[in-house]
Amino acid sequence: MLIVLLVVLSTGPLYWGNFWLGVANLIGITIIAATGLNILTGYCGQLSIGHAGFIAVGAYTSAILTNRFELPFLVGLICAGLIAGFVGMLFGMPSLRVKGFYLAISTIAAQFIIIWIINQWADVTGGYNGIVAPIASIGGLQLKSQSSQYFLILIIMVMVIFFAKNLARTRIGRAFVAIRDNDLAAEVMGINLFRYKLLAFFIGCFLAGIAGSLLAHWIGKVSPEHFSMTESILYVGIIIIGGLGSTTGPIFGVIFIRMLQQGISFLSPVLESTFALPAGFTTGIGPMVFGLIIILFLILEPRGISHRWQLFKASYRLWPFSY
Amino acid sequence: MTELLQFTVTGLTVGMVYSLIALGFVLVWKSSGVANLSLGQLVLLFAWFTYGMLVQAGLPLWLGFVLVIIFAIIIGWIIERFILRPLIAQPILSLIAVTLGLAFFIEGAVNFIWPRSVAALPRLFPREPINIGSAVVSQEYLWAAGISLLLFGLLTLFFKYHKTGIAMRATADDQMAVQACGIPVTRIFSRSWMFACVVAAVGGVLMSSIGGITHSLVHTGLKSFSVVILGGLDSFLGAIIAGPIIGLAENIGGGYLTPLTWPGIREVIPFIIIIIVMLIKPFGLFGEERIERI
Repeated sequence: MLIVLLVVLSTGPLYWGNFWLGVANLIGITIIAATGLNILTGYCGQLSIGHAGFIAVGAYTSAILTNRFELPFLVGLICAGLIAGFVGMLFGMPSLRVKGFYLAISTIAAQFIIIWIINQWADVTGGYNGIVAPIASIGGLQLKSQSSQYFLILIIMVMVIFFAKNLARTRIGRAFVAIRDNDLAAEVMGINLFRYKLLAFFIGCFLAGIAGSLLAHWIGKVSPEHFSMTESILYVGIIIIGGLGSTTGPIFGVIFIRMLQQGISFLSPVLESTFALPAGFTTGIGPMVFGLIIILFLILEPRGISHRWQLFKASYRLWPFSY
Repeated sequence: MTELLQFTVTGLTVGMVYSLIALGFVLVWKSSGVANLSLGQLVLLFAWFTYGMLVQAGLPLWLGFVLVIIFAIIIGWIIERFILRPLIAQPILSLIAVTLGLAFFIEGAVNFIWPRSVAALPRLFPREPINIGSAVVSQEYLWAAGISLLLFGLLTLFFKYHKTGIAMRATADDQMAVQACGIPVTRIFSRSWMFACVVAAVGGVLMSSIGGITHSLVHTGLKSFSVVILGGLDSFLGAIIAGPIIGLAENIGGGYLTPLTWPGIREVIPFIIIIIVMLIKPFGLFGEERIERI
């Protein structure tokens, strides 16, 4: 079944239009970033509400390196991941002494400080106007069209998912889960909290940086408004809806949320014009629906869509003798 | 010198309003252990509701304010009853995330009902600025500080002498014991949310009488987080003292550092303070240090 899915995905550009390829690219990029956040929050239990800030670090690193220093795209991509990872470690430092709400607030602080620096350091980052990210090219191959970018994003996405899936089964992954469940007990068992918490921040933000770099070259131009606090909350919402601490969680969450956004942005102007609704309908309905969905998921199905998927698979396998 | 005095007065008075909003946070945190990250959005919502009552519906001031307070109480009740009660005893991660969802929802609702991005409340306080020494302060700031102080006083008396106030403090101390004494804990939770919403509403009206109703009211709520972090999450005294400190740091620091660094540092100073406090003294000035056991 996995193979069928991969075949369908890799032949996607043959029968999807440009619009849907764009949506697929956005979904792919978001899955990479959400997988990073899932490792940090879902496995290691360190809540981060500054993920968009770290994505911004990656996007700007890559854009600046390829635009101002004219380095090749792949170097930009790797550097974006590494620098975002180090910035993440820097802001992850408070996590050694605090957790829960305190950590959430310090990551919000990280978000604001990063965006402020980007806005004001205009000589390098272009300030409010943003910066142009040149078209990605690997070797001599220019990735100009949506479909060529699609393959790049698809390959990286599959690698990231594979990596995340296997990470959970290694010593590191098990250490993360132990820290999430009770960090004091984990420390007593001989897990070096300092190392593993910072490692979780590094991996999570590394993936955010990679996603940021892809995003920058996909859009072609980065500016600070792509990385608002709202985006950060969106990522937390995505992994909650998908299911914390499972590899399939972020995938389900991202597809659900991005499709919902497409649906809303398609439907709401139509509804507004047909029913003569007030002018704020289009801008207001998206956040309202999204907030409501987060709340409902947390109350009714805190383990997310991926848990439902497990239940469905189990009942399908056992049918018709479900005992 | 004039500049310094000006910054000091502005910082102290604005800081009082931060304290007031932060009190609402501390109250909910102490009684029910929920970290309310939707504080900024609540402030925004109540400011817009005040606008709706006073300007759009054209009600007289006193009636408008009474309605705003009633609205705040109803919102507090709804939030507690329908969102947080089903989540009692869930991990802290879900409790934080649900308030994030709530923040999203409220922001959407505000955009939905009031699509304009900026508005001004009618003038609530006299117009003439007042001279303090060599500094010139517009009266809104002083009124805001005065009303905040008055509310601090009232709340202190309430917690000290009123039956509900004592029950709330007891709940913060030990939920089990309180339940055993026959005090309905869920009702206490609900009360504390109503209180939080009412102080958020008062804070919203005061802030928007100073700077108009803009989206930056959300940031006022976020700044209150730095107040609670600095003062200690579970300390009323901490919140009251830390508010003016943050206000001072923001205004004096913003005033003197802007020429040295980049513009807009004023908005970031509270967040830098958060990071520093986390690294040095994570439980704040007056917070209770938690000792964990396995």
